[in-house]
Amino acid sequence: MENTWRKEFLSYLHWMHLPNLTRILMHFKDTELQLSKIIEGNINSNTKEWLADKITTITNVKSTKDLYLTYSLLASKIDVNDAFDTSMITAELKKYIQIQNGNLLQIARMYLLIKVLEADEEFFSEKVANIIEVADTSELVTFLKFLILLPNAEKYKMVAVDALRTNISPVFNALAYNNPYPSSYFDDRQWNQMFLKTAFMQGNLSAILNIDKRANKDLARIISDYAHERWAAGRDIDPDFWRPVIQFIGPELIEDMKRLLNSKSKFENRAGALCCYFSNNPDAKKILNGHQNLIQQIENAAFSWETIKEE
Amino acid sequence: MMFIDPHVHMTSRTTDDYEAMAKAGIVALIEPSFWLGQPRTKVGSFQDYYSSLVGWEPFRASQFGIQHYCTIGLNSKEANNEALAEQVIELLPLYVHKENVVAIGEIGYDDQTAAEDKYFRIQLELAKELDMVVQVHTPHRDKKAGTIRSMEVCLEHGLDPKRVIIDHNNEETVEEVLNRGFIAAFTIYPNTKMGNERMVEVVKKYGSTDIIVDSSADWGVSDPLAVPKTASLMLKNGISREHVIKTCYQNALDAFGKNGKMKESDWMNAKGINQTELYNNNSVLRGQDPKIEKTDKIH
Repeated sequence: MENTWRKEFLSYLHWMHLPNLTRILMHFKDTELQLSKIIEGNINSNTKEWLADKITTITNVKSTKDLYLTYSLLASKIDVNDAFDTSMITAELKKYIQIQNGNLLQIARMYLLIKVLEADEEFFSEKVANIIEVADTSELVTFLKFLILLPNAEKYKMVAVDALRTNISPVFNALAYNNPYPSSYFDDRQWNQMFLKTAFMQGNLSAILNIDKRANKDLARIISDYAHERWAAGRDIDPDFWRPVIQFIGPELIEDMKRLLNSKSKFENRAGALCCYFSNNPDAKKILNGHQNLIQQIENAAFSWETIKEE
Repeated sequence: MMFIDPHVHMTSRTTDDYEAMAKAGIVALIEPSFWLGQPRTKVGSFQDYYSSLVGWEPFRASQFGIQHYCTIGLNSKEANNEALAEQVIELLPLYVHKENVVAIGEIGYDDQTAAEDKYFRIQLELAKELDMVVQVHTPHRDKKAGTIRSMEVCLEHGLDPKRVIIDHNNEETVEEVLNRGFIAAFTIYPNTKMGNERMVEVVKKYGSTDIIVDSSADWGVSDPLAVPKTASLMLKNGISREHVIKTCYQNALDAFGKNGKMKESDWMNAKGINQTELYNNNSVLRGQDPKIEKTDKIH
């Protein structure tokens, strides 16, 4: 009994320790209204009027040319370095803009696109796709960070999938880090590719959202295979890399867990311990029982997935 | 000394070139959109080319500590395919406001045909409407007449000559260009046309005002180090440091910095090379150790 209770409590703690963003709902509410409040509170009246006029023209006349031009010209009207106030919007969106390092130009551009899409999605979604298709690097970074805010965001999945293949790291990172889009819309293959590529690039795996939720059996196998390659080459493995295997520990991964628990690296010990601790596999529990010091450290919160790499 | 090469087609160059250019002091470069040797047959080929000039190539340059800018335009040779040219012209407004686009270029005449004239003028109008600088390619054949005609047409369309860079000058054309108040760029070619000794003589004779040196290095025999090499030869021949800085750095920055996209702070405050930003399975690195350095450049 006591054990069950403790486990539930610990998994609650485990949940609480996740970065707050992991708990962000997949979809932000009333995005258009929220962004309009930011525009209202931060942009000078001339530009505001100009933008409102343009949006009216674009949506009334269905003018593709005006949409493209307005989108472009916003860059000359809003300074990306201007500080701006987001105190008037929901805490969720505020936090998201903050963690994505969003600027006022990005917000204004997303606002424009959302406005025209909401006015006539059938007509404008193709135009918006064109704007995205010809994006330069920083525009593409903006789209990827804020795709999730667009109405029917799933329509633009091709952009996100393309970003999986890019070698331009700021573009890839915009998709992979702190971004709820991949976990909301990617299928397992796409998800696995993103996770693995982040590891290949020696990126920050802990910045990927919803890792536990999107863990899958295939990914667990890929992780094990890749770890064997790295070990064979005498190379390190990021301890965060192991996290998705927790619910999929079978006979092969048990061997990997043993190796982690008996490794000379304390980071590997921690990774193995966390995987076994939160796993439902009795064999995983059994091998972990041979490492009482690690169990104690987890229970005393001496380390967790969030602090796994701290000295 | 810091250098800018305001005309170099990096798409056609190797990472060895980037490394050598950075080592020689090139801090920024401008890649004009041009003809790729093989004529394009689809508008999508232009779109992807322009996209690479505002996407992949600036990233590649940044990996070697060089700031990459570009000019966007329909080159004169391909203006002769009118059906295609029409579609390319429609595409241009989508690119001219991108973050590293400093001018419309390189545009102008090749054979001086009617089609070339038509699309040159359309692009000059676009430049005027959007208040953009223009980079003009002057023809290799019938050069002097073609250069004069290019300038006359720019004036006819009401462009300010100080916002037009006339490129590929030589001793025969420079006076006409400077007298009309345009900016004169010189391409330093190995073997042909302007060699760097000749450039030294031009600066001795005309000074450094409104004169710019570039390499136009591309897929042909050319030298991506033409700017630093010419600078060094100028110094050896007793040309003042001030003239060298103006012709090999400052004038290019002043001419192409007008829309605010190209700023000295871009390279003075750059974050330095960080090749760990790369995806090492398929990037500019092929198994080498990533290079990380802090930027510390002194003028």
